[in-house]
Amino acid sequence: MRRTASHGRRRAIGLVARIGLLLPVLGPGLVSGFADNDAGGITTYSIAGAQFGYDLLWVILASQVVLFFTQEVGARIGLATGQGLSGLVRERFGIRWAAFMAMVMLIANLGTTIAEFAGIGAALSLVGVPIPISAVLAAVAMVLLVSQGTFGRVQYVFVAAGLGVSIAYVVSALLAKPDWGTAATRLVIPALGTSPAYWLAVVGTVGTTITPWGQAFIQSYVVDKGLDRSNLGAERIDVGLGALLTNLIAGFIVVACAATLFASGQHDLTTAGQAAKALGPLAGTSATILFAGGLLAASLLGLGVVPLTSAYTVCEAFGWESGVQWRWRQAPAFYGLLALFVGVGALFVLIPGLPLITLIYLTAVLNGILLPFILVFVMLLARDERLMGDLRSGWRLSVIGWSVTAVLVVMSLVLVWVGLFSSSA
Amino acid sequence: MFFLSQLVGRPVRDRDGDVFGKLRDLIVALGERYPPVTGLVVRVSNGRDIFLPWTDVEEIDTGGARLRTTRIDIATFQQRPHEIRLRIDLLDKQIVDVEGRKIVRVNDIQVAPVEEQLRLVAVDVGLAGILRRLGLSGPGQRLARALHLEPEKYIEWEDVDPVESSVSSLKLRVPHEALGTLHPADVAHIVEQLAPRDRAGILAALDDERAADVLEELAADDQVDILEALTPEKAADILEEMGPDEAADLVADLSQERQEELLGLMEPDEASDVRELLAYDEETAGGLMTTDFITVSSDQTAQQVIEMLRQLRPDADHVYYLYVTDAEGQLVGTITLRGLIVAEPTTHVREFTRPEPISVAVDAHADEAARAIARYNLLALPVVDEEGRIQGVITVDDAFERALGEGWRKRLPDLFEPAEEA
Repeated sequence: MRRTASHGRRRAIGLVARIGLLLPVLGPGLVSGFADNDAGGITTYSIAGAQFGYDLLWVILASQVVLFFTQEVGARIGLATGQGLSGLVRERFGIRWAAFMAMVMLIANLGTTIAEFAGIGAALSLVGVPIPISAVLAAVAMVLLVSQGTFGRVQYVFVAAGLGVSIAYVVSALLAKPDWGTAATRLVIPALGTSPAYWLAVVGTVGTTITPWGQAFIQSYVVDKGLDRSNLGAERIDVGLGALLTNLIAGFIVVACAATLFASGQHDLTTAGQAAKALGPLAGTSATILFAGGLLAASLLGLGVVPLTSAYTVCEAFGWESGVQWRWRQAPAFYGLLALFVGVGALFVLIPGLPLITLIYLTAVLNGILLPFILVFVMLLARDERLMGDLRSGWRLSVIGWSVTAVLVVMSLVLVWVGLFSSSA
Repeated sequence: MFFLSQLVGRPVRDRDGDVFGKLRDLIVALGERYPPVTGLVVRVSNGRDIFLPWTDVEEIDTGGARLRTTRIDIATFQQRPHEIRLRIDLLDKQIVDVEGRKIVRVNDIQVAPVEEQLRLVAVDVGLAGILRRLGLSGPGQRLARALHLEPEKYIEWEDVDPVESSVSSLKLRVPHEALGTLHPADVAHIVEQLAPRDRAGILAALDDERAADVLEELAADDQVDILEALTPEKAADILEEMGPDEAADLVADLSQERQEELLGLMEPDEASDVRELLAYDEETAGGLMTTDFITVSSDQTAQQVIEMLRQLRPDADHVYYLYVTDAEGQLVGTITLRGLIVAEPTTHVREFTRPEPISVAVDAHADEAARAIARYNLLALPVVDEEGRIQGVITVDDAFERALGEGWRKRLPDLFEPAEEA
């Protein structure tokens, strides 16, 4: 008779103790990729498809490649150093750069949190719930999600609902009889545009797929799971699968929207009701309910991940206690940040007449603009021999990493440029 | 008294007052209560970092450093084993705050002239240090006061234990003496706050007995990770110091290969105890019991038993009940420590034995054993085989863990938690 290895649940601390329990059979890359399809994801891909049809599919493909490389390098740094991103920045570049990174993270993640609140507001407005009520509901939901244990129990519901709506988009895309020839062409041959709206969509699509919080999340996840160098091969596969899954879903959302909204002349998406029509081929008149459910689940999933990740990241940079195992008085900064996220999120969506869908879209763009700042740190850390040892980026990975970072910077600059140019014209 | 952040970057002048470089770092030699600064690292004009021994320094303050000499020996810095560089090795790194029993980050470092030597006095872990480094001391301090925050927080160097992280070069330079003064549960609490990678380092630095006590306080999964990360020799030494039941639970979770390796390295006595316990199903009384218990015979006198205990020096957990067995090893009764102490020295054990002891069979269900302990208010419950011979005992804490799940002590109300620092 052999005894079994089960000794109750792990008492691990840190970020993953809360978030990482998410489908333990999945790896960090898959989890991180899945959480990317939050309110910002669904909204941004919908707008991209409605506004430009199949034209932005190349951005989805490019994002997948970039997502793979950025997640791979994040995971590799976690494997090599056993430390989180902002802690490493603090140790390696000093407190000023750590404070700078914490600020960037805070701004980007406040934006994303507002987007999750707006997502909940938009989803509930489809079934007639007024914004003030949904803002309160979202705030209560976040407090519950963040308090001990709740997220671990209900995350599967969100994941299942998110997966459900993803499949709905796939089916809807297939039923809508899209122009596959054009779709395939646009996937590999970029159809470049020059309008500010086009570049807004490009930066938004990249920004909602490859996020500042996702970069901190993958690294912390790998660390809290206690993975080490020997897991490098498996991690690369996991990260690759995560990127593939995320972008496959993103691609189908774009195709579904292109074949329905874009084809029928509905180019400007400003309400959730309009976006829901993309699910029409599958659900007919029930499309609104299906979309509302999916957006709600995706927003809640994001709400359970993003504020926590960013509170951890900021506290890690300054060496403050973080984690829900502490009490209020022991970790005032951590809880203060979470309170800030709830407060700002809820109050922001209360602004009367706020275009929620546009707001979500713009936070994705904000993420896209701030992303390169985070990536510069990541690439510098990955080249550091003392930290990384034999897991240091070789010249190939370095060239890829820096090129990606440079392209993202250029992309943001192009957006600013065409924005200025066209407004003065 | 000043802070490292006020010294780094300041000019270094020779005896004639000519600037020849900027201060980059201070070297201190660990070991003393307030470690002395033994040298400076100076960046000279060509971008190279040179080392200057403390004996060359005439004076140093926030305005910079002045040397006694004009002739500078361009020696490249070689770090000696007990020396650390304050900026590179300590600033912005994690340390253990031994008083507060937690991990904190070093925001700044306080040095002061003590006994004609500049010495490392304390580390700044407060908001004030962060603000000073960010150049926001003035407005930041006012804001903090307005919010009734206490921005200043320093930890005396003697209450600091640096963490050997995979990132810093502190490896093997840290004696972890300060950690030795803490309760094992507090050390375990600190270990849990570290990244999984850095946990084994602290255990490796403790002596075997303390390491075993700390390990017993950790969650099962964390125990396994740490035991896998330690050298096999150290791991085996720590297992020997653990209770056989704890050790068996832990060994059972290791890979087959690692099990054999560690059991092979352990002392034969301890290894066989563990092997014996490994044979029992976890869901039975046998799986819950420990083989650490003490038997006496009816013919011994109280005096003889006390003598025996003095020689055995058993752990506190196993001394409250002693088990009376006959020649065949069958359990015939129990005596309590109280009974033993209040008895006259010449009284025979049989005269204060409680007969017909409550016991469970080795193959009884573990829950049944836990229930018996609860019902009869026992500190420990003997476990017997088919012939009634005692095989082990189940202690009340293991029964609690069985009933309430791992980590039950953590979930007790605030009343039972360690007092917070003021």
